[in-house]
Amino acid sequence: MTQAPTVLHFSGHQYLRHRLVLGILSGKPVRIDKIRSDDKNPGLRDYEISLLRLLERMTNGTVIEISVTGTAVLLKPGVIAGGNVVHDCPLTRSVGYFLEPIVMLAPFAKKPLQLTLRGITTDENDLSVDIIRTVTLPHLQLFGVSEGLELRIKKRGSPPLGGGEVQFLCPIVKQVKTLNFVDPGKIKRIRGISHAVRVNPQFSNRMIEASRSVLNRYIPDIYLYSDVYKGEESGKSPGYALSLLAESTTGAMHCSEAMSKPGVPPEDIAMVASRALLAEIRRGGCVDRQHQVLVLLMMILGSEDVGRCRMGEPTVRTIQFLRDVKEAFGTAFKIVPADPADANSTDLLYSCYGVGYVNANRSLA
Amino acid sequence: SEKAQAAFQNTARASKRRDWTKLIYNSTASPESILGLDGGGESSSNAAGMDDDDFFTLKSSAPAKIEEELDRTKEPVNVEELAEWEDEELLDSIRHLFITGSSSA
Repeated sequence: MTQAPTVLHFSGHQYLRHRLVLGILSGKPVRIDKIRSDDKNPGLRDYEISLLRLLERMTNGTVIEISVTGTAVLLKPGVIAGGNVVHDCPLTRSVGYFLEPIVMLAPFAKKPLQLTLRGITTDENDLSVDIIRTVTLPHLQLFGVSEGLELRIKKRGSPPLGGGEVQFLCPIVKQVKTLNFVDPGKIKRIRGISHAVRVNPQFSNRMIEASRSVLNRYIPDIYLYSDVYKGEESGKSPGYALSLLAESTTGAMHCSEAMSKPGVPPEDIAMVASRALLAEIRRGGCVDRQHQVLVLLMMILGSEDVGRCRMGEPTVRTIQFLRDVKEAFGTAFKIVPADPADANSTDLLYSCYGVGYVNANRSLA
Repeated sequence: SEKAQAAFQNTARASKRRDWTKLIYNSTASPESILGLDGGGESSSNAAGMDDDDFFTLKSSAPAKIEEELDRTKEPVNVEELAEWEDEELLDSIRHLFITGSSSA
């Protein structure tokens, strides 16, 4: 950790986003090679280039070098600038693809970020804007990033043509708080957002009804909101989706979502989302699987104290992230069974000593 | 086969109580193989077991996968796996995780 900027070296097209984030946060150059080098169509994809452009625009002094074949990229990080940024996302990935890494960087910018992203707002591959608004941002609040944190969904955009627009507002912090989250509590309420654009608006209500038929048996506090977007605001393509989240007495959140597929009735989509939520709840822990990486990153950056969090088993992405973060910050987690006495419990306790990351970019007001 | 059986029981037991810290930081196994998600884990052993007798090595024609694995956060939903939730007993089995359920389940 003491020597001059060592280059973080990675291979492959997977995990590109968190690796770039780790480079920018740690101030170390990142070199990623062998990007689809064996592929018929080698090199970076348009959405990856687009992400690099966005990172370039959000920062000051970042140098990005892409090899002639596009199979290797070197990013020399500058400072995270923040401010007002507008970005058109390609239609190959949804805005969630871009927001996920931005959410990790924005709290450490020089100025609060106001980012406008245009494109697809919900798809199969990345977190939808609804999940980011209702689940990702509250996870960030656990670390003291809260005042003025907001995601506004101005227009929705379904694949393939998109046409959606969101605005992400993020405050800056000096340092993130140390997390101590070990009690998952009990699920006290379920919330959901159902939306249908450029199709029969009744689809939204049909999804809500079908979802209730599964979830009503557990708790009475269920509120599923039918979010209506009309005309210009509903984007360029038809689609519908249901996003669900369960919240516990201690603030633990679990989420799921499902979106329309050609020929699948809204009831079936709602069933998938509802059952996926139950499966997620059963997995236990204090943090949703899709948010493990975000929470672990913020724990590493926390003040020089021991942070603890109870979660389920790590996902594939989480395991790789834990290895990469050790590379970047030299910090490893201790991972032990949360209930050593209970043979049926698979919950784990993740703890680490924060590196005491201080936002040096922040302009003193 | 006795050995195999013992090995199987070992891994079955180990999956309950695994040393995650060690698996993650002190091994070079891929995340997929740690979680037992790859189909046998031949890709890594293949490359390592290569003899360097030959000056030219044949590049394994591995990329048979037509569809590239996307870099995605959202895990693909397995609809067949979710069908288990049609079962009333399973639905009741998670009742204790809600405030309305008794703690004894």
